[in-house]
Amino acid sequence: MKETSNIESPGNDASFGVGRSAFDVRRFVWRILDFIIAAIFIYAGVLKAFDPVQLAHDIDHYKILPWTIGVGLAFYLPWLEIFCGLALVFRLFYRGALSILSALVVVFLVATIAAKARGLDITCGCFGHASQNWSFPAHLALDLGILAALCALCFCSVARARAGTSPTPTS
Amino acid sequence: MKFLLARQALILAALSLLPGVGQAIYFRDKISWRSPIPPSEMVSVDQARQWADSAIWIDARPDNEFAGDHVPGAISLNEDRWNELLPQFLAAWSPGKKVVVYCSAQSCDLAREVAERLRKEAQLPDVFVLEGGWEAWLKKNR
Amino acid sequence: MKTQILTVTLSFILCLTARAELKWEQTSVELHPARGDKQAIGHFKYQNVGKAPIHFKSVHASCGCTAAQSQKDQVAAGEKGEITATFNIGDRTGTQIKTVTVETDEAPNQKTVLTLRAIIPTELEISPTFVFWKQGDKPAPKTITVRAGKDFDVKHIKVTSSSPDFQTKVEETGQGQFKVDVQPNETGRPIASTLTIQSENSPKTFYATARITTAPTVPVAPGAPTIQKAPPAPAAPTAPARPSAPTSQTH
Repeated sequence: MKETSNIESPGNDASFGVGRSAFDVRRFVWRILDFIIAAIFIYAGVLKAFDPVQLAHDIDHYKILPWTIGVGLAFYLPWLEIFCGLALVFRLFYRGALSILSALVVVFLVATIAAKARGLDITCGCFGHASQNWSFPAHLALDLGILAALCALCFCSVARARAGTSPTPTS
Repeated sequence: MKFLLARQALILAALSLLPGVGQAIYFRDKISWRSPIPPSEMVSVDQARQWADSAIWIDARPDNEFAGDHVPGAISLNEDRWNELLPQFLAAWSPGKKVVVYCSAQSCDLAREVAERLRKEAQLPDVFVLEGGWEAWLKKNR
Repeated sequence: MKTQILTVTLSFILCLTARAELKWEQTSVELHPARGDKQAIGHFKYQNVGKAPIHFKSVHASCGCTAAQSQKDQVAAGEKGEITATFNIGDRTGTQIKTVTVETDEAPNQKTVLTLRAIIPTELEISPTFVFWKQGDKPAPKTITVRAGKDFDVKHIKVTSSSPDFQTKVEETGQGQFKVDVQPNETGRPIASTLTIQSENSPKTFYATARITTAPTVPVAPGAPTIQKAPPAPAAPTAPARPSAPTSQTH
């Protein structure tokens, strides 16, 4: 039988191919999750970055933060979200991006829940002016979902690092 | 690993500062860091005084506050009696005049709202809000 | 990762146990006053869910157009009450946002900002409300656009000029929109007119102003410290003026 050099000879371990394909599927699923979370944050960041002046006024409407801090956040936060989203996509500074995004979501969640407990009507304004009419439960559900996904990605990243299968040197 | 994490987070935070600062510079005329009114629509007492006769002063405060004291020559124009007071102001306005609107202090929104209505509804050019409001004028003049 | 889980859990626990003493039913109220209403009143209900009485140090509104009042100066533990904010609509239009700041002796949350948002129905939107010609300019017609507000069905409008020196012509452009062409007979002297605009099925009157202005004044040298009185107005009726010799257009 003629053998061509680029056909791999089957190994002795019969489960090798099955194990490897399951691993690939898992990696694929995690990458899809990376892209979904990244897309949410990049979309949210871009929406807000288009009109920082309106975002500053939206933040000011709630009269919680001083005007100056609101303006600073309006210029900075959207870009932080965009850069962290891109970091997830390209797997550069991956864990740093996960930490920042997790911290952002935790802060938003704590602020929203604490405000609601005090009877304040607060929406996190994650999507800028576009999300101002969302209900509190909708915001809470989205934030919790994103936090769960970020936690899952963190777990996976740590597990991969411990197993020594870190995909890129910079993540 | 913790240091790697912190370093990565710091690098991302620092990188995000660059476009943020760029945008802040680009939008510097459209938004003020000190107040919700953009710098292009604000004028200080000293600048407004330099305009002398080419400035028309508008007092956006309620009638009783205007009656108490106001900038000499200022015209009362507030949203309580907008329809009645606007034509009196328009009779005094002419092209080339700069309109300076004031109310009580920086945190008062009345001057900003009156100025916005003059720009949007009457489509007047050169409408400004006095920085520091009535209190700033008092400080410089009394 | 363990630290992150701990942080999240602690935050949730803190939120559940961190109960403010003065609990507001809502701190943001949206009002929809009816056409013709002079005031819009918002009620902000609260309850003292703490164990100690709370004393209101101050309740003040962001502008003189809103009056804010508390039913009581002190709220005992368990007691309920409300703060009433009365917003005088006047001649305001569109969405108005007014705030009331409440200061108490409750620590640490001593200040609460209550927001009153009033959506004032506007029957007719007029743009611009002021048209002018400089003295000596060609007396070409200028257009004022009149648009029916949302939820208003306006089929016809009537435009009356208080001065015979200005002619008006009304044209319907469809979908509740009208074009009002205003033209002076001449621009040789400073004259003015108040244009009264009314829709057929409403008693409410809207106004626009047409004027021939004097030539632009030459700027005085800087340094003049005193503010001069505004120049005497030309023969302009004070609005809402009774038209002396009205010329009216109906469409």
